[in-house]
Amino acid sequence: MTHFENAEQAKRDPLYKEALTELLYQFADDDFILAFRGSEWLGLAPHIEEDVAFSSITQNTMGHATFFYQLLEELGEGDADVLAHERGPESRKSAVYLEKENGDGHYLDEPFYDWALTVVRHYFYEEFKQVKLELATRSSYQPLADAAQKVLMEQPYHLAHWKMWVKQLLAAGGEAEERLRARMVEAWGEFKDVLELGPKAKQMADAHLIAGEDVIETQWVERVETTVGKISKQQLGKKQGSGRSGEHTGELTIALKTLSEVYDTDRTAIW
Amino acid sequence: MGAKESKTSHFYQEYEVFSKKTEKGSMQHQFSLLAPNHEMALSMAQENFMRREDVADIWVVKRENIYGLTSEERQLLTQRLENKDYRTTKGYGYLRSKWREKQQGMLDEKEIMSWKEVKK
Amino acid sequence: MYNFVEQGGVNDSGIEEDPEKYQKFMERIEAGKLIEADDWMPEEYRKTLIKLISMHGISEVMGALPEKEWTPKAPTLKRKLGIMAKVQDEMGHGQLLLRVTEDLLKPYGKTRENLMEDLLNGDLKFHNVFHMKTKTWADAGLIGWLVDGAAIISQTNMLDASYGPYQRALHRICAEEVFHAQHGEAIIMALAEGTEEQREILQDSVNRWWPSLLMFFGPGSASTTGSSKQEITMKYRIRKSSNEELRQAFLDKYLPRVFSLNLTVPDDTLHYDEQEKKWIYQQPDWNEFKQIISNKGPMSKERLRLRQIAYENNRWVIEALSKEHSFS
Repeated sequence: MTHFENAEQAKRDPLYKEALTELLYQFADDDFILAFRGSEWLGLAPHIEEDVAFSSITQNTMGHATFFYQLLEELGEGDADVLAHERGPESRKSAVYLEKENGDGHYLDEPFYDWALTVVRHYFYEEFKQVKLELATRSSYQPLADAAQKVLMEQPYHLAHWKMWVKQLLAAGGEAEERLRARMVEAWGEFKDVLELGPKAKQMADAHLIAGEDVIETQWVERVETTVGKISKQQLGKKQGSGRSGEHTGELTIALKTLSEVYDTDRTAIW
Repeated sequence: MGAKESKTSHFYQEYEVFSKKTEKGSMQHQFSLLAPNHEMALSMAQENFMRREDVADIWVVKRENIYGLTSEERQLLTQRLENKDYRTTKGYGYLRSKWREKQQGMLDEKEIMSWKEVKK
Repeated sequence: MYNFVEQGGVNDSGIEEDPEKYQKFMERIEAGKLIEADDWMPEEYRKTLIKLISMHGISEVMGALPEKEWTPKAPTLKRKLGIMAKVQDEMGHGQLLLRVTEDLLKPYGKTRENLMEDLLNGDLKFHNVFHMKTKTWADAGLIGWLVDGAAIISQTNMLDASYGPYQRALHRICAEEVFHAQHGEAIIMALAEGTEEQREILQDSVNRWWPSLLMFFGPGSASTTGSSKQEITMKYRIRKSSNEELRQAFLDKYLPRVFSLNLTVPDDTLHYDEQEKKWIYQQPDWNEFKQIISNKGPMSKERLRLRQIAYENNRWVIEALSKEHSFS
């Protein structure tokens, strides 16, 4: 298998580069949109100590997004801030489930955010991210393998934190368990999109960028079900569409508008 | 307190947080936090109090499990007369000149602590 | 300014409680010794601390909200990360200070939940600046630069506070404030050296926040608003300087920096009196100040509403993990 040491080598192989950038956008956009949702929670978590801990995880996650945008920058895709702020919904490769609003209301107005959604989403996502990063450490693209290794350093804390929340709220029974179970069933119907590698999946596998999406799915289901038990008899679904193919909901459009509101007042200014 | 409080009051347990910066370091008290149980207290501890520093280890201890001096005892039991030279090297300082007469150096703390390595 | 703990006929001065203990207590703090949570303390000392630190703590929690408005909107990845870390610190400072308050409240059987309820029902006030509207990204920078600058002046003044737990919390807080100050300066510097529009929003922000910044330190004397606790906090070695001394220190340190960026402040009368060695400035409207801190400021209701929603909407989480057996 061909090994690519750096961006210059990858750029010389257009097909390789195409699959590679697609994969990097998934990594970057996933972390970025979830960190955005996390930043909306700031100051509103169930208790102050959790607010502080959660924010560290959100910051780490946005830091990871930044690493991946920088890898794209090296490949000539443009400045990391441009990639984060200027791309419209149709070119975002993040999964749809991750853009779902935190609950009812807006972060500035009547934010009836749902901690059950947040706990389930983060736990499911961190298990998924763990699997995908582990696979990426063996990528044919060395800078991606290195970045994955680096990001994995912060992953054990994220994973442990959300696993703790899921386990404790499930074990509490009653309303808490019901709320979590309902959010898990909802996620089950949408999460397949997260696990997929999108339209260029085959190209990615052929280029040894990452193992196939079936591997990601199998490992993810196994890990999640070890913690929370069987979630649903249904097949994993992607009811809200395929974010990997650029399909998104209006919730992403609103999110993008918010996160680039200041940036868009002058895209060329130094902020 | 009404029924409202009693339903939730157990969530807010007091935990004291200790940590050390390096493997070699000793545990140091950091601060306290509220959490419903040990596991959650531990998960909150690092990001609440050691966001910007190295951490090699963390303890959380439920405050009620700490048995310490009372306010009065702090004033009374920590007092000591300053007549304990015999317990420290200070009381043996005269040896330095004695050894010097015999052309020998003093085996002081600096010297003794340097004996980590001996000739192979 | 407000009455936090209902006094219920308790003798306030402390001297009559136990003259001998009071004498020893005063000797201790005058000798620079620290008082700990379980030490005997005069009722007046405890109440003064509770009032001061609960307001300080809850102001940190409420103070997270105006900046939080700009957190998801911050214009670059670096600014998004920086402001998140900064707002997180504010919540963290709130955590430290509420813990200190909660221990002081033990004799009254009050807890964090009661503090939140006191905030929501208006018994516990928060700082005037955090009742104000934010309008542009420049406000996020200005809060970090000048509001935190003012907070640094008043907090460093208490770094030797006689109450040990408060002193330790303040040392942690002030260490982080250094980062906050530079975070704010970085945003401001980019705007000050930026485009015409960026400079405009910056100047507009200074203009809008100026009266709030003057108000930040509180009235110069009790006669201005009816009462002031500054003499008591100085008597008990909690803080060293008066409101006006702190305000002058703020003007000393920050006005030259404001002017160095070619910014102005909206006060034609402002000047430095060489003879008196102090800044002469137009007094802000202290009646408005009173209104603001009684939760009648421009954003008081909205911000309290956010806290109320966070408090009530997450209640099921707190209840779920309140069971005795839960993983202890």
